[in-house]
This record gives sequence, structure tokens and C-alpha cells, in this order.
Amino acid sequence: MRNYEIMFIVNPNATEEEIDKINAQLESIITTGGGTIDKIEKMGKRRLAYLVDKQREGYYVLFSIVANGDIIKECERRLRVMDAVIKYITVRTDEEVRRMEKIRSYRQKRAARRGSGAGTTPGPSAEEAMQ
Amino acid sequence: MKSAKEKRPAGQKQYYRRKKVCKFCVERIDSINYKDVKLLSQFVPERAKIMPRRISGVCSPHQRLLNDAIKKARNIALLPFTTE
Repeated sequence: MRNYEIMFIVNPNATEEEIDKINAQLESIITTGGGTIDKIEKMGKRRLAYLVDKQREGYYVLFSIVANGDIIKECERRLRVMDAVIKYITVRTDEEVRRMEKIRSYRQKRAARRGSGAGTTPGPSAEEAMQ
Repeated sequence: MKSAKEKRPAGQKQYYRRKKVCKFCVERIDSINYKDVKLLSQFVPERAKIMPRRISGVCSPHQRLLNDAIKKARNIALLPFTTE
């Protein structure tokens, strides 16, 4: 199981109920497939950077989930089929989370070694930990 | 390479270039998220191209992360590919 973020853009002319319906559908796909939902965030209407389906605006929705490849595949298929959804993207986040933890633990270790005054001096620590 | 102390021919102006620093290292920004449009847009000038390292001074590990983030953001229409 991996952490993913699914972000999609709904046609701005869609009503609030239609958006809720899409969310409910995705929710059921994820939960029946054995995944869990961390967060559903409706980011609201915002201007698109370029025209998508002749629309200048879009309603953004973000799902943070824990799932496997099959669930993601099914979600993407459903999103592709839905008329109201004009664009979607799936991003894997677990690698990013792991990297952040590594950096954090590295900093703590460093701070512990240095004593109290550590953590304020800028250095190449973040760079090194990233490698 | 000429050092700064070396004498230059008359009339040639001396420039002292300020050392560029990586914004992400200095401010200790670890994660570069594709949703953070405000941060990313600092690195895309008007033509919506990704700013090269030689201009922005970002270090190479961070530039790599920045690159990925900008490309993801473009995909979901948070940032433009080009200007119209």
C-alpha cells in the first residue's frame, strides 16, 4: 500500500451536488478496494493557467489516500469516463514523506550532537540528507 | 581565471558579482510541493519557462525537485506551459 494524492478539476458549471456525487463514487471505489482515505479537500474554484475543455475556471478537489495500484487504476478509469471531470493527476507521496522524515531525523541528530545552539546556523545539512 | 586583485587594463570596469545562494537551502525549505503555486511561480518568468540554475542560483538537488514540482503543476493547470 502506498500514499497517493489524486487531484482533479471539475467543470465550473457543475453544481455542488454533482461534485459531492463524484466524491462519493470515488470514496466507494477506494474503500471497497481496501484502501483508506486520509483527507478529501475541496479547494474550490480557481482560474486555470490555460484553457481546458474551453474552460477558464475549474473546481479543484484533492484526495489524499492510501491505496494500491489496482485502486488507482480504477479511479483513473472512472475519472476519465466522467463528463464533468476535465482533468486529473495522481501523485505518489510516500517517497516524499520518507525523504522528509530522513531529513528531520538527521537534523535532530545534528542538533543533539551540537547541544542547544544548533539548528539556527544555515549549512549544507539539507542537501546532504537529500542524497 | 583572473583573480579580483589582479590589475586590469585601464578603463575596464571591475565587477563584483554577489555570490548566489540557494533559496531552499537558506530558508530550509525541504519539500517543494506542486500545489504551492506561490513558491513555484517565483521560478517561472513571464514566458513560463523554468528559470535556469545559473540565474536563480538554486543548488542542483533542489533544482531537480523544483523541476518535478513545476512539471506536475503544469499538468494540472496550476502553472502555464506557455503564455498565450
